[in-house]
Amino acid sequence: MTRLLPRLVLSAALAAASAAPALAAKDLVIGVEANMPHLDPANTNDTLSQTAERLMYQGLMGFDKDMKLIPALAEKYEASEDAKEFVFHLRRGVKFHDGTPFNAAAVKTNIDRVANPDNRLSRRSLVSMIAHTDVVDEYTVKFVLSSPFGAFVNNMAHPGTFMISPKALAEYGKDIATHPTGTGPYKFVSFATDTLKVVKNPDYWRPGVPKVDTVTFRAVPESGSRFAMLQTGEAQFIYPLPAELVKAAQANPNLAVINAPSIVARYVAMNNMKKPFDDIRVRQALNYAIDKNAYGRIVFSGYSTPMDAPIPSDLGFYSKQGVWPYDPAKAKALLAEAGYPNGFETELWGGTSTAVKRGMEFIQQQLAAVGVKVTVAPLEAGVATAKLWNVQSPADATMQMNYGGWSSSTGDADWGLRPLLYSKSFPPNLFNIAYYSSPVTDRAIEAGLATADPAKRAVAYKEAQAQVWKDAPWIFLGVDRLLAGQSKKLSGVYYLPDGGVLTEDAALD
Amino acid sequence: MLVFLIRRLVGTVPVLVAVSIFVFGFVRLLPGDPARLVAGPDATAQDVAAVRIELGLDGPLLQQYVRYMGQTLRGELGRSAKTRQPVAHEIGARFMPTLWLTVAAMAWALAFGLLVGVISGVRRGRWQDHAGMVMAISGISFPSFWLGLLLIDLFSVRLGWLPTGGYGDWTHFVLPSITLGAGVAAVLARFTRSAFVEVSAEDYVRTARAKGVPERMVVWKHTLRNALIPVVTMTGLQFGFLLGGSIVVETVFSWPGLGRLLIDSVSFRDYPVIQAEILLFSLEFVLINLIVDVLYAFVNPEIRLK
Amino acid sequence: MSAAAKAAGVQSPLSEFWRRFRRKRIPLVAGGAILLIILAAVFAPWIAPFDPAAPDYENVLAGPSLLHLAGTDVFGRDIFSRIIWGGRVSLSVGFVSVFLGGFAGVALGLVSGFFGGWVDTAAMRFCDVLLAFPGILLAIAVVAVLGPGISNVIYAIAVFSMPVFARLVRGSTLGLKQTVYVQASRSIGVRRFPLVMRHILPGTLPGVIVYLSLRVGTSILTAAALSFIGLGAQPPSAEWGAMLADGRSYLGVADHLTLFPGIAIFVTVLAFNLLGDGLRDALDQKLRT
Repeated sequence: MTRLLPRLVLSAALAAASAAPALAAKDLVIGVEANMPHLDPANTNDTLSQTAERLMYQGLMGFDKDMKLIPALAEKYEASEDAKEFVFHLRRGVKFHDGTPFNAAAVKTNIDRVANPDNRLSRRSLVSMIAHTDVVDEYTVKFVLSSPFGAFVNNMAHPGTFMISPKALAEYGKDIATHPTGTGPYKFVSFATDTLKVVKNPDYWRPGVPKVDTVTFRAVPESGSRFAMLQTGEAQFIYPLPAELVKAAQANPNLAVINAPSIVARYVAMNNMKKPFDDIRVRQALNYAIDKNAYGRIVFSGYSTPMDAPIPSDLGFYSKQGVWPYDPAKAKALLAEAGYPNGFETELWGGTSTAVKRGMEFIQQQLAAVGVKVTVAPLEAGVATAKLWNVQSPADATMQMNYGGWSSSTGDADWGLRPLLYSKSFPPNLFNIAYYSSPVTDRAIEAGLATADPAKRAVAYKEAQAQVWKDAPWIFLGVDRLLAGQSKKLSGVYYLPDGGVLTEDAALD
Repeated sequence: MLVFLIRRLVGTVPVLVAVSIFVFGFVRLLPGDPARLVAGPDATAQDVAAVRIELGLDGPLLQQYVRYMGQTLRGELGRSAKTRQPVAHEIGARFMPTLWLTVAAMAWALAFGLLVGVISGVRRGRWQDHAGMVMAISGISFPSFWLGLLLIDLFSVRLGWLPTGGYGDWTHFVLPSITLGAGVAAVLARFTRSAFVEVSAEDYVRTARAKGVPERMVVWKHTLRNALIPVVTMTGLQFGFLLGGSIVVETVFSWPGLGRLLIDSVSFRDYPVIQAEILLFSLEFVLINLIVDVLYAFVNPEIRLK
Repeated sequence: MSAAAKAAGVQSPLSEFWRRFRRKRIPLVAGGAILLIILAAVFAPWIAPFDPAAPDYENVLAGPSLLHLAGTDVFGRDIFSRIIWGGRVSLSVGFVSVFLGGFAGVALGLVSGFFGGWVDTAAMRFCDVLLAFPGILLAIAVVAVLGPGISNVIYAIAVFSMPVFARLVRGSTLGLKQTVYVQASRSIGVRRFPLVMRHILPGTLPGVIVYLSLRVGTSILTAAALSFIGLGAQPPSAEWGAMLADGRSYLGVADHLTLFPGIAIFVTVLAFNLLGDGLRDALDQKLRT
């Protein structure tokens, strides 16, 4: 206690001193939903931190505004036929913010850091398949994998493999999280409690950008307050914009609404190993029982598209299966056939946010119409991890139904299917909380990973999706629309399908 | 007096130790795995295991407890699981915003509460009393998040007079301190009124009045001064409550304070931050209680003898 | 403390209380309003024009009209009917949580004040810890351990209320212990339990009744705050706080979603507070001039 107090007072005084706001012509303020934990890309997992990291950092590969893979710090790459060797040719003349040159040695330092288990970085799984990284010459680097991994290039676009200045890494060690030093379009200025400020990098390798002087991220958790901030001009861009406020934003002549497709799928996972959901007819019946169009209209004010495959259409290797029809009569018939003519009682879990509870309530109403009596139980975040993800064996799982969402952070079908629907992905390994297990799906998922050949991967993922759709381990609901509000003066800010935002080309009138 | 003080101060030590043990066990009883939460929504089992070791949550509970107590006694609070920053830094950065907001809210609530309380007390049973009390009590009857959102809608969006939120110059303080202070103002107005009325009935006030002391003197000198004593105690208590930070007000106005830190760290199961915050609250509370007791002892020597 | 002691020294008969309470118009109106709200909740099935849970997807977010007096919500349910039905939930939350917390607090306060010594110290430090412990954390703990649901929300709020009653009752017990008749009863050897129940408990009741009334309002507001952070009543409950919290993201689009539940909460809490104040004035001997 004795040593705590003076430190408290001192740091509080510092915080107060740095709180003075400044507004000039080209200052972009972005209102976001939550506080960013910190800014070490190899150790953060939320889309928001990753978006903030993209201001300052880049990887060998990157995404364009349509989330297509594009070269970033690498100019091109070659992959071996067996998906075990990948050679990247680096962009020349790029410097980190501290002046350190970017080269193959820097790439090796970064990848080795993430891969080293002693560093205990939470994104290690992105590079754990690498046997060794070789510096071929100043601007060429080669990754040799221990097993084939067809989605490897996507991993090199993931924030977990962003390139950090080797000099800064040596200097700050673990504190790199509060001293971001990358190659990106903006340089770090300050990061205090809920505000991140960056300033333009005049030496950025892409000519003509950035076009704004500073970018500030401010965490405003309450959506009504965030929208108010956009209306008053305190922010020029806010996301996410709740679907129910789109109408209000459209009514304001100074504001524009960004309405883009996402890769966030919403579904109800049913416990496929437990009664009554172990019967495929029950699972099919519940899919027939829900009006997916009404779901989008009621729960997302129309800003949601019905799911027509186990993965969203903007994910690589998506294969359309057609929307599951709404047919309550057929649902009742299937339930009767399965031995539940009067329905049954069950529990539906989900999160505690207003929008999630709205979705759960809708499902409750729809299932009630076919005789299934649902108790809605919103779980606090910590409780959900214990009850869903940390279950040690399928027999211990207490979940009956869970309403949730998933977005594949690599933009690839593999991460949209394997963590959720592969029989080796039961918790606590990964997130197959439906305990869905099908030999056909398993084989197809493995085949998709075993090659880097897009044609072969497409065949494999098509088979996996068809099988999953047939087995109906989930109630397939909808794919979110991405909604953001922005000032009409702003251009060049792109909302990516995974929920991230690109600010590199931002410009203010 | 000095003996009393020392005894009380020494008495707070076991309370703080009890709180520290209690909170250590308490946070670990909450269902939820910090490693899983910190590792994030799509971390693999190996990622989670790495985070668990990094957070020092891998050993047996007793070993964790010994490590925690050792650190706490040396005045080290550890690092936040979520941000990896020292906990003292995390709490320090949010202490001032909460403190200043508390001061602003208390200042106007006290001014308003005293004014309404005295007017109602003096004009007891008349329309000023009724109007004042209904107005004050209205303040405590509003769900505060609704009040906050309505204030933002009116003063920021429609009128454009004040910012919608965030920590900054004085304009940023107006709306959150009104929202936060509304309840306190009501409590103080009510309390002042009854203290005032109570004192008015005391013999010395009656005597003063009977002696022909002018009414204004009776009100200001005899009644108010004595009525103020319990009001001061009440103010201290309310101050203590507000110092914990209001989750609702800090969320609505995106205020970087202790209340939001608490709810963030609870939903992340950020044990070191929760533990340190609760220790801080307990310390604040114990100190304020002590000050209140000392004030009581000054006013009423009977208590001291006990 | 000395005030409470003198206050409780003489027991006022019920008729005396009623004579003085009746003269006060505001608390009387407040009491009438509360009675009306309770009656509306009790007779909800006969008063509410619609089924509060029946969705109508073709008629969502409709503003107030003659058919739907308070409009319809996001699922097309009649908000007026939901408020009437929801009164059952909100009032239960208010009453049950306060009575539970009040009961435990009174018991603790009596024991603490009467026995004094280390029992008193331990009990009061326990209350300190409880008061210093952020209420929201307690609520999260209760809901996390027991699961979501309105009954667990009630327990959580009861825990907040307990120390307030304990402190209040302890204070008046300390005072009452010194009164002549308690001292006299003690000296003639009346045993502790009957002594506390017959002579001390009744003396603490006026203060307790006032606080019960005031805390009902606080509890209803706390339930709303819990809904705000997502830990309140679960769907499809029409608890007012949950309606208000769920409707808040429609501010500026469909204001009636928050306006009517907000008014319901405001009026009810205001009425309980005004009633409590009136009771205090009428029960407190000190204020009789």
